[in-house]
Amino acid sequence: MSDDRPIWRDPRVVVARRDIRSLSREKTIVLALLIQLFVAGFSSFLVVGLTSLYDPSSVAAGEVEMAVTGDAREELEAAAAEQDGTSVTAFENETAAQRAFNQRRVDAILRGDYVPSTRGPGEQIAVTAVVPEGSIRSTLIVVEVRRVLSGLERQERLERTPYLDKPPVPLPDTVSASQYFGFTYTILIPLLLFLPPFISGSVAVDTVTEEIERGTMELLRVAPVSLLDIIDGKALGMVLLAPAQVLLWLGLLSTNGIAVSNPAAILLFITAVTVVVVTLGVVLGITLQNRRPAQLLFSVLTLVLFGGAVLLPEHPATTVAKLAVDSPTLLTYGHVGGAVLVAVAGYAAARVYIGRIAAEAL
Amino acid sequence: MQPDKLLRVAKWEVTKNAGGVDKRTIVVMALSLVAMGAVAAIAVSGGTGAGMDDGIYRIGVDESSPYYGVAADDRTFDIREPDPTAIERRQQELLYRGSQLQSVPRTAKERAALAELRDSTAQYNDRTLARDDNQTAAFPVSVTLVYEQQSGSSQLDPRGGDSSDGSGSADGSGTSTGGSGDGSDTGGTGGSATSSSGDGGTAGGSGANLGAIGARLTGDVQGGTPSDISPPFPFESLVLAFLYIVPMNFVIQAYGSSMLSERLNRRGELLLVTPASRGDIIGGKTLPYFVGAVGVAALITAALRFGNIAPAGSYVAVLAVVPLVVLFLSATFCGAMFARSFKELTFVTVTITVTLTSYAFVPAIFTDVTPIALISPLTLVVLDLTGQSVGLSSFVFSVTPPLLTGLVLFGLGAGLYREEDMFTQRPIPLKVLDALAGGINSRRSALKMSIILLPLVIVAELAAIAFLFVLDSVSLNVFGTNQSLGIVLVLGVIVVVEELAKSLHVYAGYEHARYERTLRSALGIGALSGLGFFIGEKGLLIARLSDLESLPIGEAALQGATLPAGLPLWVAGLLFLLPLALHTVTAAISSVGASRGRRAYLGGLVLAIVIHFAYNFAVVSTLV
Repeated sequence: MSDDRPIWRDPRVVVARRDIRSLSREKTIVLALLIQLFVAGFSSFLVVGLTSLYDPSSVAAGEVEMAVTGDAREELEAAAAEQDGTSVTAFENETAAQRAFNQRRVDAILRGDYVPSTRGPGEQIAVTAVVPEGSIRSTLIVVEVRRVLSGLERQERLERTPYLDKPPVPLPDTVSASQYFGFTYTILIPLLLFLPPFISGSVAVDTVTEEIERGTMELLRVAPVSLLDIIDGKALGMVLLAPAQVLLWLGLLSTNGIAVSNPAAILLFITAVTVVVVTLGVVLGITLQNRRPAQLLFSVLTLVLFGGAVLLPEHPATTVAKLAVDSPTLLTYGHVGGAVLVAVAGYAAARVYIGRIAAEAL
Repeated sequence: MQPDKLLRVAKWEVTKNAGGVDKRTIVVMALSLVAMGAVAAIAVSGGTGAGMDDGIYRIGVDESSPYYGVAADDRTFDIREPDPTAIERRQQELLYRGSQLQSVPRTAKERAALAELRDSTAQYNDRTLARDDNQTAAFPVSVTLVYEQQSGSSQLDPRGGDSSDGSGSADGSGTSTGGSGDGSDTGGTGGSATSSSGDGGTAGGSGANLGAIGARLTGDVQGGTPSDISPPFPFESLVLAFLYIVPMNFVIQAYGSSMLSERLNRRGELLLVTPASRGDIIGGKTLPYFVGAVGVAALITAALRFGNIAPAGSYVAVLAVVPLVVLFLSATFCGAMFARSFKELTFVTVTITVTLTSYAFVPAIFTDVTPIALISPLTLVVLDLTGQSVGLSSFVFSVTPPLLTGLVLFGLGAGLYREEDMFTQRPIPLKVLDALAGGINSRRSALKMSIILLPLVIVAELAAIAFLFVLDSVSLNVFGTNQSLGIVLVLGVIVVVEELAKSLHVYAGYEHARYERTLRSALGIGALSGLGFFIGEKGLLIARLSDLESLPIGEAALQGATLPAGLPLWVAGLLFLLPLALHTVTAAISSVGASRGRRAYLGGLVLAIVIHFAYNFAVVSTLV
């Protein structure tokens, strides 16, 4: 290759530019971003929606009114008093409690009685919890019931500590913490950041097989570029797309108040992953020359790779999560380095393989 | 459509593939499928134990502290040497000396870490106490959960009305203790609910089944203590949803490629010039993929049934998957007809996957809770696999809208399956207009198209209800009326979808010069379109088949389609005719806009939407 050409006239860069331009002309990049936005919105909606069913404090769903009755009602009352989202009324007799339940003055009935234990000597409190059936609120009520009864259990255990081999570990204090914190960093961010590499690889399959199937690869081959140059250019175009999207996501997340640490390391890691995935896509495209089998095999193999990564000491999704939440360990950086090595070695091997293919066979 | 020609195309589609894929590919494919199975098996069995949240919180604690064991058992925590300076440098989140927390959690991460530690401590206590000699002291509380109908009515619990027999279960306390005792055998608190209460109603039964299958899938459900109570969250429906939906994505990928490659280099012309009709070609090319997808669903059901994971699985589950398969295939068909290149098809396929998966998935999450769940046919699968009977009306309600939508999409795509459209490259929005204009011949077509597009509208509206009903409990004060946020949003979505469905085909007709661009003609076409929609909208009565209107949000969505009972005749007549007037007027407005170009169309559409929303909101505020 002559060296007097400026970089932007390099055939590889020209091919990459051409591919990216064709993408933006079809406006499909916008569509892809919208999809990812939708996925992100959808999954967070799902979790926010679902957890809000479980946690009365997350949505102003109102307090849960409970009726307590039976011999152990005082203990139940004490346990319920510790919970914020609950208020209790004690009923002397069960029929009155049942009537209040039927008239919807209370959401649940807790009937606690001291009975001989089924688990050994001594007495235990048997609680029958009656909750309304088949409404969205019953989930919330069940969660509240569980809280109250767990509190009761803790209290009772404390009183019976002398009989235990080892006292239970006291619970740390409650703090107001975002319940979506873990979800954001371990699911949402990895999901957002791994989607661009996957799409890039899939499009790499498309761009190669499309040239072959349409017969335009021959036209490209007439130009004074080698097959390797063409492939280099196509891979380059697709690899560049992913980090660009990742940057966009990181910006969007930080404007939403979700701080993502170590952006440089994350960017490097995702780029390495993209190189691996795009290499896979290009090789499959060149080998199979047909979109259908190539694309099919590509998605199966990527799934296997991603799933098989659980065998690594740290899953790539966890690597991203730990970098993003700023808890990286040496192992995390090891994975980033490993990914870069695999990407470089993989692409070099793919180049050797493609170099051996007689271009006329395409 | 002739069956023999259709079958010949189908056969060709299959053999062409077998020839196109060489043995090496098949071997690699088989190997990777085996690998995928192995990976899934490892993931399910939790063999490696690696979780997504491993080591995201760092805790400074040494072995003298009781929390050392807690943190060591929970892989979310990374144990470090206690070091106060590390806290300041933000390299540790929590610091414990003995049982005392030495650091003050300030940042969001530190607070989340402490909350996580609290949860793990509770679990740790349960685990260690399970080995204690004195089990009575270790687990001093036993619980029995009973689900019961409440009588009377409440805004939040719309299932009122049918009264249950008051204090019937008041004498149940004696039995309930026994029930909780053997709750560990049945594997769920729901299970003990059935054994203890005779009058607990149907939910007890379903709880037992779900608990059982949940136990089989997770293997760690015990009954009896407070921490064993689990809300009716159908974990298995999440697993099953993926089990049934994932193979479909592979099928549509192959199908989309096959359909689009017909459009490359005018290859499809060869088929078009044969005596086979358009329907034969499309049907024949689709049939193998349809059979394949349904076959996979049947295999999964059989495997679940004979693998004893869901012994109740039957043909109902397979039948319920059919509309989903049709929906996936038809959407992909349209995508392949619209897309200009493989690259574009990839993006379209991803969109289809994401959208339809959420459509099938979100309602199915609420399997236990409300009639909302029936919006997705996947719920029928879950019900069938967990051994609950599926009523005919529920089945029809759940299956009909997606099935019809799939057929409509096939029809729209087929409109483009002809020489002059197949081989031209146009942006997707224009292709959509082409597809719509394909069905327009005369002015009366406006009526026809409004009716034809209705299944799409219904599916979109039902999906909106399913997505937004969670917000139903959030109330919002709009213009002095107290409506829930969910209802307002649902009304908004419905209005937009309906106005689009009424006017988009009119716009397509104008763009393709099928209609005269005069005011008179525009008003007439708009009125016809509105009338067509009104007639079709009565199809929403299908929602009566389920209990959907028993929810406030469902009632708000369906107003106009069903009439409140007990009104004087003239009011009923007025209520019946008002929606007709509304649909005609709004459709005429957007039609007049459409006749004057794109900008005017958008303006007209927005105006129509505003009027429609105001009307709907007024009706909901006064009637609901």
